[in-house]
Amino acid sequence: MTAVIQTKNLSKWYGNVLGLSDVSLEVEQGVTGLLGPNGAGKSTFLKLITGQIKPSIGHVAIQGQDVWNNYPLFGRIGFCPEQDAFYDEMTGWEFMTSLLSLYSFSRADVQSRAEKALDFVELAKDKDRLIRGYSRGMRQRLKLAQAVAHDPEIIILDEPLNGLDPLSKRKVIRLIKDYKEAGKTVIVSSHVLPEIEALTRTIILLHQGKILARGDIHYIRDLIDKHPHMISVKCSDPRRLASSLVGEPSVLNIQFGPAPDTVVFETQDRDKFFGLIPRLIVDHRIDVEEITSPDDNLQAVFDYLVGK
Amino acid sequence: MTMSHNAVRSIFSFFFFLGRKARKTKVFFLISGLPVLVALIIQINRLFAPGSGIDGPAIFSSVIMAFNLQFLILVLALFYGTSICSEELEGKTLTYLTTRPAAKSAIILGKYAAYAAFLVLMVAAAVILSFLILNVERVLDLSAWLAMIKALGVLALGLMCYMAFFTLVGTFLKKSILFGLFFSFGWENVVQYFPGSTQKFTIMHYLKSLLPAASTGSAGKLSFLTFKLEPSSAGAAVATLVILTAVFLGLACLVFSKKEYIFED
Repeated sequence: MTAVIQTKNLSKWYGNVLGLSDVSLEVEQGVTGLLGPNGAGKSTFLKLITGQIKPSIGHVAIQGQDVWNNYPLFGRIGFCPEQDAFYDEMTGWEFMTSLLSLYSFSRADVQSRAEKALDFVELAKDKDRLIRGYSRGMRQRLKLAQAVAHDPEIIILDEPLNGLDPLSKRKVIRLIKDYKEAGKTVIVSSHVLPEIEALTRTIILLHQGKILARGDIHYIRDLIDKHPHMISVKCSDPRRLASSLVGEPSVLNIQFGPAPDTVVFETQDRDKFFGLIPRLIVDHRIDVEEITSPDDNLQAVFDYLVGK
Repeated sequence: MTMSHNAVRSIFSFFFFLGRKARKTKVFFLISGLPVLVALIIQINRLFAPGSGIDGPAIFSSVIMAFNLQFLILVLALFYGTSICSEELEGKTLTYLTTRPAAKSAIILGKYAAYAAFLVLMVAAAVILSFLILNVERVLDLSAWLAMIKALGVLALGLMCYMAFFTLVGTFLKKSILFGLFFSFGWENVVQYFPGSTQKFTIMHYLKSLLPAASTGSAGKLSFLTFKLEPSSAGAAVATLVILTAVFLGLACLVFSKKEYIFED
């Protein structure tokens, strides 16, 4: 399979600050997840491949063509930026039709594409409201709509699931999978591992501007699963829950607190632990208010992977 | 650097529409309407105190023109010209434009044309209204209309030239408003009164060279505007203003196309 996006020794500095360092990779058709904690260089990478910024060193090409200032190429690309920025005095409809008019579509085509995209992100009934009055989730959906309305071959989405409710997330995930099936190339960045897991098996791990790992998500998963996880359970009877898990080999450590109704488990086998918990809750009739993973964030995982 | 006319037209429509809705447009609309208010007050005063010696056409030529030429077009050009680039950066909306199949020069030219068009319309509306109020008894006088149209032409040329200059400044300077204020009310307002050819280093020199008082050589009603003016010929003045506008815009397109813009986080 030929590479759609190619980068060679791609590096970017912002003054003395390193944004991206020596990234050489090829992105093929399908969905690729770009995973990394905040500040890892994900947005820098996406801005470089969409021609918004120039590489300090190295080269980036899409379908064999240089990207910087190659504006005819941008008709084939759809980009959803991370920043929550809009022309707030416009309505959703005006925003969509104005941006679509920058392509060589007919007036009727502009309108039908705008309608279709707004309908897909469920903003059709709010299309005549000012963007200023949109909620965070609505704004996020509008950003997504403008990225896909012109039916691009390559879709680049910077943290597209941020601020979306679970239903909208599912819908966006479905859309991205549909694009994959339609033979398009999609790059999705996120700092949330389960989001990327839901989308693709092909991932690139970025950390401090460098590629830490790339390939199948299961390889990364295996690495991550070796990392002890903290899981906090807020429930009606934390002591009873703790006592039922004391002999469990996958549980390495149990601590109570910081809140009186909270117990924190440390486990080396997260999947097994999450398999056990529902049965214990039902058996012991414990009311659970919340289950969270205090260190289930990429920064903790990356610190572990780089041996910090 | 190639560019599609369709892209310029689309950007024009985008920002002609958006610019009119902007909050600052409402503020500047009120400011540009001040001469209308002044004209109304003067005319009401003339109604209640006939023979007070207030000459409507003279007031139109001097006060209205002075306000528009020496202040309004500079301020409008400064705030809209510099914003062509800076508002996209500050609002972080540049991404929406630069990731479309439109040349960066089309973004600059389309946005410049959109802002210039509605600013000229805004100034023209205020000038025509002031003219009608102050020249109510000469409303059928063709020569008065011709003088007003000429004045409007001077204001439009000035607006476009200053705006092109500030568009260029906005593409490469972060604190462009501060620089623009020094330029407008420092350089332009001072150097235009220097004797000899030094005054030709100001845009205002060429604009004032086009005023009736300058071309006829008679001081007349605009005498204070043409104070110490050593006018260039009308043809040279128009050509210079057009060339300057084209050069400033060309440079703005070039800088905007080559420069990398990074949002401040």
